[in-house]
Amino acid sequence: MSEILEVREVVKTFDSVRAVDGVSFTVRRGTITGLLGRNGAGKTTTIRMITGIFMPDSGSIEWRSASASGAAFRDDIGYLPEERGLYKQMKLVEQLLFLAEIKGKKASQVRPAIDRWLERFELTDKRDAKLEELSKGNQQKVQLIATLLHDPELIILDEPQSGLDPVNMVLVRNLLRELRDEGRTILLSTHMMGEAEKMADDIVLIHRGKVVLDGSLEEVRSSFGHNTLHLDYDGDGAFLAELPNVSHATIDNHAAELTLGDNSDPQRILEAAMGRLRIRRFEVGAPSLEEIFIEKVGAETLAAEEAER
Amino acid sequence: MNKMWAVLKREYLQAIRRKMFIIMTFLMPLFMAALFFLPSLLMMRGLGEKKIAVLDGTGSLKQAFSTATQSSARRREMGGTGQMPGQLTIKYIDDRGDTALPVTARPYLERLQAEKEQRLDGVLLIPGEALVNPKAKLTFYSRSATDFVTQERLASMANRGLQRLRLSARGLAPDDIDQLLTSVKVDAVQLSKTGQQKTGGAASFIVGFMLTALLLIPSFVYGLEIMRGIIQEKTDRVVEVLVSSMTPSQLLVGKILGVAAVGLTQIGVWLIMAALAGTFAATTASFAGIDILQFLHPSFFVYFVVFFILAYLTYVCAYAIGGAACNSEKEAQQLIMPITMIMMLPWFLMAAIITNPDSPLAVGFSLAPVFGPLTMFVRTLVGDPPMTHVLTSILVSLATIAALLWVTSKIFRVGILSYGKRPTIPELWRWVKVA
Repeated sequence: MSEILEVREVVKTFDSVRAVDGVSFTVRRGTITGLLGRNGAGKTTTIRMITGIFMPDSGSIEWRSASASGAAFRDDIGYLPEERGLYKQMKLVEQLLFLAEIKGKKASQVRPAIDRWLERFELTDKRDAKLEELSKGNQQKVQLIATLLHDPELIILDEPQSGLDPVNMVLVRNLLRELRDEGRTILLSTHMMGEAEKMADDIVLIHRGKVVLDGSLEEVRSSFGHNTLHLDYDGDGAFLAELPNVSHATIDNHAAELTLGDNSDPQRILEAAMGRLRIRRFEVGAPSLEEIFIEKVGAETLAAEEAER
Repeated sequence: MNKMWAVLKREYLQAIRRKMFIIMTFLMPLFMAALFFLPSLLMMRGLGEKKIAVLDGTGSLKQAFSTATQSSARRREMGGTGQMPGQLTIKYIDDRGDTALPVTARPYLERLQAEKEQRLDGVLLIPGEALVNPKAKLTFYSRSATDFVTQERLASMANRGLQRLRLSARGLAPDDIDQLLTSVKVDAVQLSKTGQQKTGGAASFIVGFMLTALLLIPSFVYGLEIMRGIIQEKTDRVVEVLVSSMTPSQLLVGKILGVAAVGLTQIGVWLIMAALAGTFAATTASFAGIDILQFLHPSFFVYFVVFFILAYLTYVCAYAIGGAACNSEKEAQQLIMPITMIMMLPWFLMAAIITNPDSPLAVGFSLAPVFGPLTMFVRTLVGDPPMTHVLTSILVSLATIAALLWVTSKIFRVGILSYGKRPTIPELWRWVKVA
C-alpha cells in the first residue's frame, strides 16, 4: 500500500517546552493509524502541524510526495479537533454548508450529502435548529458530519471518543471501519490504548514528544512475544504478582495481565491461581498495547511522572 | 479566495440578522436627527401660538404691537429669509393713566392658568412712566421663567416702540426714525480657495460633530462586534476547524471585509434614508436658519464613504488584535482600552479641529496614521484642505491598515489557539516575531 502522508523529523517548541521533538512516521493509504500516547505526549501538536495550524520549527510534512503547504492539502483533510466546537448560534444546515465551503466545496455539491448524513445520524428533523438547541451527543454527531462532509481523503480524528456514551462509541467505531473499507485513510489520535487496539492497523506511539514505537499493530505485538497471560477471575488476585516467574503484573479487580519470565510455563501459573481463584478466562498471547506502552516507556518513568502531576 | 468569500458571506449574513445591526441602522439616524432637529423643532413649536396680553400704561404703543410691525420685526431678526417660526397673538390693552397696573393686570394673570380659549401664555406690563423715566421697568409674566425667546421679542418690540416715541417727541419725522433705527445684520461667509462660498459657521460646527460621530460610532460598535466574534469563535472552539481549513490571513481578511460590508450596507441604508428624509430635513433645517444642503455637495459623499471605510478598517483591525490575543471580552476590553483612548484622540480634540481646520494640530493629525481618516474628513467638511493632503492621508491610512492587518494576522495565528491568560504587550510583540 502506498503512503499518503509522511511526517519527517518534525520539531515544535513552545517557549522552552519541546512539545514535539523529531517525530517521524508514515501513514499508509486506506488504513487506520493510531497515534497513541498519554495526555501531553505531543499528539495534538503533531496533528496541528499536519493540519497546517502550526508551522513546524523544523522537519517536513509531506502529503503524497507533494509539499504540504498548498491549499488543496487542507481541502483533502477532514479534521475533528480534540476541542470540539462549532458556531452555537448557527442553524445546522447553514453551518454545514459553510464548513464545506471553507473546504472548497460549492453549496450545490454538498446539499445531497448533508441530507444523507443527517438522515444517517437521525438529525433530519433538526436541520433548521441552532446548534446550541441540540443535545451534547447530537452536537458531536454534527461535528463528525462536518469532518466528513467534504469527502476528505485523510480523516484526522483527535480523541474522537472523548465525551461519547458507549452507544455512540460503537457507532463511531463502526463508522470509522466503514470509511476505511471505502478506501479512506484515518489518523486516529487517542490515549485509550484499548480503543486503538480494537481499530488500528498501524500504531505510532509517542512519549514526551518522541516516537517510541511504530509499525503495524500485529508486528508490534508479536515482536513483544507471546509470553503474556491474560486472566479473568473472581476473588482477590493480588498474590499473582508475587508468583515466581512473573516478571511484571498488572492486577485489576477481576482481571490480571502477567508478563512471564523466559522459559516459564504458563500452566504452573494456572495451577497456582486455580487453588485460590475462580478462573473465568485464561489466555496466553501477545501483550496488550497498554502493557507494551508501559514496557517501552518504563514503569519507573511513568510512576515518576505520575508523582509529578 | 473562495474561502475568504465564504467567511465574508457568513460574517455578513450573521451580522445583518443581529438585533444590533437593525437597531444601529434604523435608530441611529433617527437618534441623530432627533438630536439635531428636535431643539429647533421644539423651539418653533414653543414659539408656535403664543397668546400674549400687553397692558400698556402709556397708552401709545399700540402700533408697536400691531401685526404689521411684528412681521417686519421678524424679517429683521431672521435676516430676511421671510419664513419665521412662531406666532404671537397679542391682545393690546390701552391702559392709559393707570397707576395701579398690577391690580388691573390681575384678571389677565389669572388667565395664565386658565383652560383652553381663555388661556394666556404671557402678560406684559408697561408702566405709564416708561416713556419718561429711564429707570422704569417692563414686567413679563409667564408660566415658565425660561421662555426668554418670547420675552426678548416682546421687550424688543416695546423698546422699539418706546424709542420711536422718544425720537418723535424730539421732532423727528417717522421716515427718518425708521432709517435711524435700521440695524445691519451679519452674514458669516467662509471663502474657500476655489472661490466656493459657504455660510453658517455655527452650523458647520454642529454638522461637523454630527457627521464625525456618524463616522466614528459604527467603527467602534463594529470593532467591538468583530472582537466579540473572534472571542466567540475561540470560546465556541470553532476556530481550530477554521484555521485548519484556511490560512489565518484568509480568515481575518474575510471577517474584516464581511464586517466592512455590513458597515457599508449600513451607511447605504442611511444615505437612502437621508435622501428620503432630505426634503423634510432641508426644509426643517432652513426653518432653523441652516442651509444643510451646502454641506451635501457630491464631494461630501465621496469623502464620507472613503473616510468611513478607512476609519472603519483601522479601528476594526485594532479591535481584531484584542480579539485574537484574548480569551474573554473582559480581558480584551482591558487590553484594547489604552488603544481605544489613543484612537479617540481626534474626537476629544474635535472642537479645536473644527474651529481651526488649518491649524498645525489639525493638519498633523489628518496626515498621521490612525487619526487620519477622522481628522481629514472633518477638514474636508469644514475647511478646504489641499488635494495633496487628502491623498497623503488616504495613502497613510491604507498603509496603516495593511500594517495592522499584517500584525493582526500574526497575532491571530498564535493567539487563536492559546487559551491561557491575557498576554502583555511585550508578549504580543514576541508573538508577532514568532509567527
